[in-house]
Amino acid sequence: MAEWWESITKTFYRCFIRDNRYKLLITGLENTIRISLAAACLGIIIGFLLAVCSLSKNRFLNGIHRVYTDIIRGTPSVTQLMIIYFVVFATVNWPKWLIASIAFGINSGAYVSEIIRGGILSVDIGQTEAGRSLGLNGRQTMFEIVVPQALKNIFPSLGNEFITLIKETAIVGYIGLVDIQKAGDFIKSATYEAFMPLIGTAIIYFVLIKLLTFGLNKAETNLRKSDIR
Amino acid sequence: MIEVKNLQKHFGDLHVLNGIDEVVHDGEVVVVIGPSGSGKSTFLRCLTLLEEPTDGQVIIDGQQINAPGVDINKVRQNIGMVFQHFNLFPHLTVRKNITLAPVKLKKMTQEQADAKAIELLTKVGLADKADAYPAQLSGGQKQRVAIARALAMEPKYMLFDEPTSALDPEMVGEVLDVMKRLAQTGMTMVVVTHEMGFAREVGDRILFIDEGIVMEQNNPKDFFANPQNERTKSFLSKVL
Repeated sequence: MAEWWESITKTFYRCFIRDNRYKLLITGLENTIRISLAAACLGIIIGFLLAVCSLSKNRFLNGIHRVYTDIIRGTPSVTQLMIIYFVVFATVNWPKWLIASIAFGINSGAYVSEIIRGGILSVDIGQTEAGRSLGLNGRQTMFEIVVPQALKNIFPSLGNEFITLIKETAIVGYIGLVDIQKAGDFIKSATYEAFMPLIGTAIIYFVLIKLLTFGLNKAETNLRKSDIR
Repeated sequence: MIEVKNLQKHFGDLHVLNGIDEVVHDGEVVVVIGPSGSGKSTFLRCLTLLEEPTDGQVIIDGQQINAPGVDINKVRQNIGMVFQHFNLFPHLTVRKNITLAPVKLKKMTQEQADAKAIELLTKVGLADKADAYPAQLSGGQKQRVAIARALAMEPKYMLFDEPTSALDPEMVGEVLDVMKRLAQTGMTMVVVTHEMGFAREVGDRILFIDEGIVMEQNNPKDFFANPQNERTKSFLSKVL
């Protein structure tokens, strides 16, 4: 038992402490969070615009939404990431994390648009009619009345999409970015240890997402305030 | 004055309104009755363009509102609408439901609108509910708030689309009371309803709509005592 414990602590030291390897993981964590947050913001903006396109009566806008979601859903995200980085932004000298965020934002936007579309459609048409009958224009009705209610309905799905997004970013190593996954990978190569770095990577993702889930649940309870009877 | 000329509304092959010509004078309370599916709600919704007429004209104070280039939002500020299912905004408090439109449309400051909200809530007997959410109110209370919300824009006309049809019987009275008091202030009202007692007591004129046209109209006394049209007679025999 003592021997086993000693070997564990030794491996732990070698994997995470020696040569300040934990700093690699911290850098990785920073990058994962930064890319996920930026991509989520972009994804919500793109998703909302696409949802508006799909709900509009204009057939050209409908077409944009259809083609966009078809392409994004029909190709792997790692292919999309590499096309964005090596083709679209090949000659642009932007930081890698920003380009990765754009790629994931574009990807996430397609899924978010379906969520938002469903959320807007779930709000009773009478709400729009009531808003318009008071003299509010279409945009005021959308943002003051429909969107806040839709938000409440879509919040759990949106949170779910954000969690998926965080895990999706584990492929940014393909364009040479160090995120949590890549940091674990580096440690694995440097130490010839597989167990400790990979389990460590998994635990960091798990804790990150657990914390986020906790925060999302809190926020949802807050959003449901007006439902309390 | 609301004028309607040859109003037609078709949903595909279904002709809901088949040419209605009508005038609602200022200060008049017009009660619209008729069997379900007769087009009375569609008629009312056309007056504020929640339904776009297929043909004909809706003219409010001399302005044709279903013409290109009309700012319908401006027109609607002058026409309050009360719905069968209340359509209160569930994410906002009662106070916010009432003040949202006047403040957003820069008709009042938030302070003025808040004062107006309390004044209106007092009138409908719900001053203590200002900070409640719609989900906490009974049906009758919701509809009274909805009336207050429409009145907050200080409209010249009020349209009611079966305002008591979704209510439990014991709550109908409180809503009709509010409407009766509103009529007494001289508000111009068009009310679609199945409440014959209200029609008789408060209406200045009854329109009987069936098959998308005004089949018969008269003052309430003669309308109920002495209906002329066969369909009116048959309808009244079923509801009275």
